[in-house]
Amino acid sequence: MKKRGRGMACMYYPLGFTSYPNPSAAFAKYNPDGSATVLTGAQDIGQGSGTVLAQIAADTLGIPYDRISLIYGDTQAVPMDAGSVASRVTYIAGNAVKKACEQAKSILLDVAADMLGVLPHGLDVADGWVYLKDFPEKRVAIADVAKTAEVGRGRPAQGHGTYNPATTLLDKETGHGKPYEAFVYAAQVAEVEVDTETGEVEVLKIYAVHDCGKAINPMMVEGQIEGGIAMGIGYGLTENLVIEKGHVLNPQLANYIVPTALDVPPIESAIVEIPEPKGPFGAKGIGEPSLLPTAPAILNAIYDAVGVRIRDLPATPEKILAELEKLEKEKAK
Amino acid sequence: MSPVIGQRLPRHDAVLQVTGRSLYGEDIKMPGMLYCKVRRAGIPHARLIEVDTSAAEAIPGVMGVVTAKDVPFNAFGFTHLDQPVMAQDKIRYEGDAIAGVAATSLEVADQAAKAIKIKYEELPAVFDPLEAMKPDAPKVHKDNIPTHFTVVHGDIEKGFAEADKIIEERYTTQFVEHVHIEPHAQLAYYDPTGRLTVWTTVQRPFLVASDLGKVLKMPLSKIRVLTPCIGGGFGGKNEMTTEAIVALLSMKTGRPVKLVFTREEEFTATTVRHPYVMFYKTGVKMDGTITAREVKIISDAGAYVSWGESTLTKALVHAAGPYRIPNVRIEAYLVYTNNNIGGAMRGFGVPQAGYAYECHTDSVARAIGMDPMEFRMKNCVVSGDTLPTGQTLQNATLDEILKKLSSMSGWKVAGGDGR
Amino acid sequence: MTEASTHHIRFTLNGSEVSADVKANDTLLNVLREQLGYTGTKRGCETGECGACTVLVDGKAVNACLILAPKVDGRAIQTIEGLAKGAELHPLQKAFIEEGALQCGFCGPGMLMSAKALLDEIPNPTEDQVRRGISGNICRCTGYAKIVKAIMKASRQMARVGGEGA
Ligand code: FES
Ligand code: FES
Repeated sequence: MKKRGRGMACMYYPLGFTSYPNPSAAFAKYNPDGSATVLTGAQDIGQGSGTVLAQIAADTLGIPYDRISLIYGDTQAVPMDAGSVASRVTYIAGNAVKKACEQAKSILLDVAADMLGVLPHGLDVADGWVYLKDFPEKRVAIADVAKTAEVGRGRPAQGHGTYNPATTLLDKETGHGKPYEAFVYAAQVAEVEVDTETGEVEVLKIYAVHDCGKAINPMMVEGQIEGGIAMGIGYGLTENLVIEKGHVLNPQLANYIVPTALDVPPIESAIVEIPEPKGPFGAKGIGEPSLLPTAPAILNAIYDAVGVRIRDLPATPEKILAELEKLEKEKAK
Repeated sequence: MSPVIGQRLPRHDAVLQVTGRSLYGEDIKMPGMLYCKVRRAGIPHARLIEVDTSAAEAIPGVMGVVTAKDVPFNAFGFTHLDQPVMAQDKIRYEGDAIAGVAATSLEVADQAAKAIKIKYEELPAVFDPLEAMKPDAPKVHKDNIPTHFTVVHGDIEKGFAEADKIIEERYTTQFVEHVHIEPHAQLAYYDPTGRLTVWTTVQRPFLVASDLGKVLKMPLSKIRVLTPCIGGGFGGKNEMTTEAIVALLSMKTGRPVKLVFTREEEFTATTVRHPYVMFYKTGVKMDGTITAREVKIISDAGAYVSWGESTLTKALVHAAGPYRIPNVRIEAYLVYTNNNIGGAMRGFGVPQAGYAYECHTDSVARAIGMDPMEFRMKNCVVSGDTLPTGQTLQNATLDEILKKLSSMSGWKVAGGDGR
Repeated sequence: MTEASTHHIRFTLNGSEVSADVKANDTLLNVLREQLGYTGTKRGCETGECGACTVLVDGKAVNACLILAPKVDGRAIQTIEGLAKGAELHPLQKAFIEEGALQCGFCGPGMLMSAKALLDEIPNPTEDQVRRGISGNICRCTGYAKIVKAIMKASRQMARVGGEGA
């Protein structure tokens, strides 16, 4: 018989390393043609940091996104970074990029103020222009200012920035301390169908609500959520590297089962966008948290469907059948 | 004004990706490049007596072979300096590197790696972390418990005394592999001026550079780590793997040397997600108030600590879950075994704990007959709440998330939002 | 014929005639990547399980890591490098970009070639047919949602263009 059930799970997850410093650094410069070059140590590993950091740079520098060149990937040439790990890049490297851009911008505004005959604090940048905030018609192209700064005044509009979250070590005895600066939260619901004859579980639908602060790029946030869920399905139901007496028995994709397009159900996701004051443009992160609630939500749904709790991952058909059998025997007593 | 924050922009390199022009690790080539194969131990625990490379070196096309003897400083590790570049006196798991070969073709390198003779004396091994904690267990390193932690919050005994029901469960998790579709790939070139350039598929290039500096005893000013496009990481590309072997082979041969892991090596000789054994005990009142939670976690580190300590601290801090619990005690142990090395993987210890605390929390809710959604709405942390580590939360959003999830999924809760 | 004996093979690669001297046990994947410099086709497992090496042989999607090079003598091979018509991207490529279908992108070339084979056979697939069509291609990053969406979008786009053209 096929039985349906639903289950849910919550999580919270920090940005950055536990207690240890994990700084990011960045460098930004306006080029004399009004484009900009930004150097970051943060490596894009496919998660999209190369795009997100460029978005942060574009809006901070006030120039179009396609005029930003973001450079990474050379330890002899770019500023240091603690790495594309720990869901830290948008928040920490993003803050570093923002600071670097702000420093470049402050030089740009200084020179522009001089050119326009106003005070720098009345100015801002957008869309390739430096403009007077109270009277936007008074403006000068960033290209002209950047060129004047570099060629005319000998003061290139460039800057650097670093960011490191404020944390403390954990006390050795009590474990007390402030290991992280910010957390993200999430919860998911899984709907499943369990076949009581075969023990097979089909995940029918996942609902996922995640907080990532301000979503710099909602399409990429969704992508992270969907990818995390797929990995969570594998974690909960199929993936198991069998190591017996130190020997891996299934070192091939043929018998280490990663979810395919047929194993991932429709996903309905929502982002709760509550800006984090310390994040760049209010952003936090999403990389790791997306996978966290999926496996327990599925396992709780299995319990809801057939009344067995699998306390050893993954929840394979064999384990479910064995627990169902136990349940039958108990009922019979 | 056209701000791009909040816009659904495609990836900056999307056009390169869809046209097959993105260059990933294996796509990087240099003229005169040699191919590397690494010989792995293949046995889980042994005293290493001798590595005889003479037969391998005699094969035509083999340009160089390196072993532990060639490594200037043969230890690395982020928190514990316990991992050798290549096994020295001891083999601690099957995937331990024993030697590296550079040859004019991959076939020859493969043949030569197999021709290396390893003389060893097998040692009793331990594969179960609970067994490994016992005083008379075979020792993987000097002490099988490299580290342990405790978090104490409130008065756990008092908390359990106040409970109407106490629920106890044991949860265990499995070994998991990252399966980034791109395997690890590395290309090293040591030039005649003494500068080392290494292309490698890694999430932390600066860490790899500094680890290379330490094991090769080279100044960082002479080491340049370059990263190509990276085909996924998920924590599997967090640290140095065999870059030092490839670099040593380039030093020895004077030629660029390239190594690409096979899928089998990804499964047998790279890090995995740590299996955890977790004991959960929670006290709850019939009205749904959680009075106490006690957690014990044992993490199977495998042969080396790698990210074992840092994943465990992350699990430790989050192990009680995002709930308001006045009395908490959490203990966590990291234990060496002769299994594959536990490393960083997406979620860094918290998915294991999260699986346990969320299934356990469900058991607790059901034990008092309360709807799981309602139970979580009642107990979830909000801004101003204190975590077991004493940290006060700011900008907590879980209550908002649960409301949204409840309406989105149609999981209605009696009494509205439950608070 | 011994293992080491070489074969001279000719085939069309993305519409152009090419030839290569290959060993009996060389795979098409190796010939493409190592001999001909077509590195767009990816290697993820070499055992036919990940789909990263998917190319079209006479229009059919196959794993290049499983095909022995001598077998493609006289056939027509299409790789990711040939999917766009010059600077004009194929509707699938456009849709993949617009929908954010790829993250690390490593599965992309294989995924796109499988999708191409699918749409060539079934121009208006259902979502289920799309999922089946790419079930031999593992993507570890995206959870497939946006890939499926992109393929559906491309199929609609192609139907429109095809319809107008007819
Ligand atoms: S490389 Fe051919 S299927 Fe994986
Ligand atoms: S995008 Fe990374 S494997 Fe598909």
